[in-house]
Amino acid sequence: MNKVLTSLNTFFLILLFLSLIFSMFSFPKLNIDETQSIKVNFYELIQQNDILFDPPAANTLIKKEAKKTSAINEKTNADETSIISKFKINKLDIKNEITKIKLSKEREDILRVSAIIQQRISSIWIKPNSLSESLIAKVLINLAPSGEILNFSLIEPSSNTSFNESILTAMNKMTFFEEVLSLERKLFEKNFRNFNLVFKSSGEIE
Amino acid sequence: MIRFLSILFILVSNTIFSILEIEILKGSDNLSKVAFVPFGNESGIEENYGSQISKNIEKNMLLFGEFENLAVNEMLSYPSSENDFYYRDWKVLGVDYSVIGKVNSVNALGNLNISYSLFNINRRIKILEGEIVGSEDNIEDISKIISNRIYEQITGLRGIFDTKLAYVINSDADTYQMCISDIDGKNEQILFTSKAPIMSPDWSPDRKKIAYVSFENGLAEIFIQDLQSGERDSIQALGMTNSAPVWSPDGKSLALVVSFSGNPDIFLYSIRNKRLVRLTNHYGIDTEPSWSPDSKKIIFTSDRSGSPQLYEISTKSKRKKRLTRDGNYNARGRYFPDGKSIFFVHGNNGNFQIAIKKLSSRYIETLTSTSLDESPTISPNGNIIIYATKDGSNGYLGGITLDGKARFSLPVKNGSVREPAWSPLLN
Amino acid sequence: MEPIGIFILAMLCQVYSCAANVSDSVERMQYASVAGEEYLQGDKLETNLDDKVYFDFDKSALDAEDKNLLEQYLPEIKKAKIVRLEGHCDERGTREYNLALGERRALEVRDFLVVKGVSGKKIRVVSFGEEKPLKSASNEKAWAENRRVEISLY
Repeated sequence: MNKVLTSLNTFFLILLFLSLIFSMFSFPKLNIDETQSIKVNFYELIQQNDILFDPPAANTLIKKEAKKTSAINEKTNADETSIISKFKINKLDIKNEITKIKLSKEREDILRVSAIIQQRISSIWIKPNSLSESLIAKVLINLAPSGEILNFSLIEPSSNTSFNESILTAMNKMTFFEEVLSLERKLFEKNFRNFNLVFKSSGEIE
Repeated sequence: MIRFLSILFILVSNTIFSILEIEILKGSDNLSKVAFVPFGNESGIEENYGSQISKNIEKNMLLFGEFENLAVNEMLSYPSSENDFYYRDWKVLGVDYSVIGKVNSVNALGNLNISYSLFNINRRIKILEGEIVGSEDNIEDISKIISNRIYEQITGLRGIFDTKLAYVINSDADTYQMCISDIDGKNEQILFTSKAPIMSPDWSPDRKKIAYVSFENGLAEIFIQDLQSGERDSIQALGMTNSAPVWSPDGKSLALVVSFSGNPDIFLYSIRNKRLVRLTNHYGIDTEPSWSPDSKKIIFTSDRSGSPQLYEISTKSKRKKRLTRDGNYNARGRYFPDGKSIFFVHGNNGNFQIAIKKLSSRYIETLTSTSLDESPTISPNGNIIIYATKDGSNGYLGGITLDGKARFSLPVKNGSVREPAWSPLLN
Repeated sequence: MEPIGIFILAMLCQVYSCAANVSDSVERMQYASVAGEEYLQGDKLETNLDDKVYFDFDKSALDAEDKNLLEQYLPEIKKAKIVRLEGHCDERGTREYNLALGERRALEVRDFLVVKGVSGKKIRVVSFGEEKPLKSASNEKAWAENRRVEISLY
C-alpha cells in the first residue's frame, strides 16, 4: 500500500510540476487574447477614421501575423502584413460593420430630417422676451406618413403663459413636415410617427 | 445686436422605447405682424373718431419697433365687428394678430363708447374683447389704454404707453432744461431752465416728483421738484458735492452721493426727517447708487479696485459684493425690474456701450454698438432700454428691445438731449 | 470652567462691538457751509501763466509737467485771496462718475499746493464733471483738452 501511495504521490507531484510548466507556457496564449482585444480596438480606430494606432500594439500584431504568414511567403514585408491584418480584421467584423454602417446611415437620415424640422420651426416661432427665467415646454406631434401634422398637443407646458401661447401660435402656422417623405417607411414609423418638440428659452439674450 | 451663432442641438435618442426629441432654442427674427383695422363708427356719428383711435393705437404699438403692421390699403376687408371678421382674409396676408373696433355711441356730453377686439389669426381665436367709455377730448388717453391692453395680451408684459420720460436738454452752451414728456415725445413740459448744468433726473415712485442735480448755486446740489405745483426744494448743501439722487422703491428716502472734503460716498437720506445715514466709507470714489426692486440692496460704482466697477451693498448688513470684473470700466448700474439682472455702461477699447449681466451669470453682454452710449434707463416692464448717445456733437436718445430684435431712436429735439429717465407705471 | 467663561465673555464682547458698529454708522454730520458765490464776485487776478493742468483718461494724478506749472504759480497764488480749482472730465464714461473724478482732479491740485505751503483755507474746489467741455468734438484731441483743472485766482 505504501508503495502505491508513494507512486501516486510522485504522480501528483509530477502532475503539479507539469501543470506549473504548462501554466508558464500558457502565458503566450494570454498574449494572443490580448492581441485579440487589440484587434477590437483597432477596428474601432478604423471606424473612427483614426488611422493612427498604438505602435507597440501594432508591432505585436504584425509579429504574430508574420509568424503565420512566413510559412506561406517569406518575402512578405511589414507593410503588406499590416494591410493583410487590416483586411483580416475587417473580414472578421464585416457583418458587424455593415450593421453599423446601416445604423449610422439611419442616424444620419434622422439627424438630417430633424435638423430641417428644427430650422423650419425656428423660422416661424416668435419667441417672447423671457429674460428673467429659463423656460421649457414640450409638444407632442403626431404625423401622417405624408408629413401632414395630424395632431399636436402641449404635453408639458411651461410656467409662462405667453411662452406657451407663442408655441401654440407657431405650431398653428405649421401644417406639413414633407421632409419625412424622404425617409424609409420603417424609419418614419419608428421615429417620426410620434415625436416631441422641446421648446427652450435659456433666459438670456440670444 | 450681435447674435450668437445659434448652436442648435438635436437629441436623437437611440434607445428603442424613448421618443425622438427635437430641441428648439432659437426663435425667428421676424416680428409679429399686426393688422390695425380702421375702427368703425356707428351710423349717425359725424366725426370719424374710429379711425383716429385705431391710428393712435397703431402708432403706439409701433413706437419701439416691437411689431410689424399691415398697411390699411393692403387689407382685404375692414370688419368692425366679429360678425364680419373672417380669419382667412388675414391668414393669406401673413397677419398674426388683427385689431378691430367700433365707436358705438356719442352722448350729449361728448362721451364715446368704444368696443374693440383682438384676434390671433394662426390659432383662429379671439384673445381679447373690451369696451371703454371716455371723453372725445381724451382720445389719445383712450387709445393708450386700449394699446396697453392689446400689448399685454400679445406679449404677456405690462403695457407702457402711458409712461413718461424725463430728460435734460442742453440747447446751447448756457441753457439747460429739465423736461418731461409722454413716452412718445408728445406733451413736453419744461420743469426748470438754468444757465448752469442740470444732471441726474430720477422719478419718485408715485410719479409726482423728480429729484435732480443743479449747479445753479455754483456747486452740484440736489433738488426735489413737485410736478403739480412746480415747487423746488433743495436738499441743503451737505458737503462739497451732492449728486446722483435716486428714490427708494417706497419713496421715503433717497440714496445719494455726498462728498466731504472730496471723498464721495453713498448715503441714505430720509426725506421726512432730513437725516443722513452713511452707507459706504472708502477713500475711493463711490457713486451712482441705485436701489434693488426689493430695496434690500444698493448697486453703486466704485473705483476702489483701481478702475470703476459695480458693487452691491446690503442696506442692512452693509455687506458688499463686487458684481463686475470684465474690462476696466463698468459704471452706473441699475437693476432690472425683476432684480435678477443689471444693466450698466461698459467701457471696451475706448467705446462706451450699454451692457447687461444676469446676477447669476459670470458673463456680460453688450447691447448697443455706438461708441458713446450712457445713462441707460429701462421700461417698467423690463423689455426696452432707452439710452443717451451722440451723433457728432449732438446728443440724442436711442433705444433697444431686450429680445435684440428692434432698435429705434426717439424724435430729435431742439438741442442735445441727455440723461433719459423712464417713469414708473401709474398704479 | 474658567476658559469657557472667558470664551463667553469674548463672544459677548464681539456681539456688543458689532452692535456698537452699527449704531456708530448712523452718524450725525457737521456740515461745512459752502457758499458758491463768494469767490465769483471778487476781481479775478490775471496771470500770464497757462491756467489749466491736464490729465489722462480716468486718472487724477499730476505729471511732472503739471507740477512744474503749479510751481510757477506759487508766487501768484500766495498773493491771491482765493484760489478756485475747477475740475473737468471728457465726455467718455458716465456723468456722475465723471463728476466725482473731476473733484478728485481738483483735489489733487489742491493737495499739491497745500504741500507747497498754500493755506488750504483759501482754496475752493468745484467739479463740473463732463458738463462743461471746452471742446464739444468727440475725438482724442478734444478729450485731452477737456480733461483739465482750471485755476483762477481772486
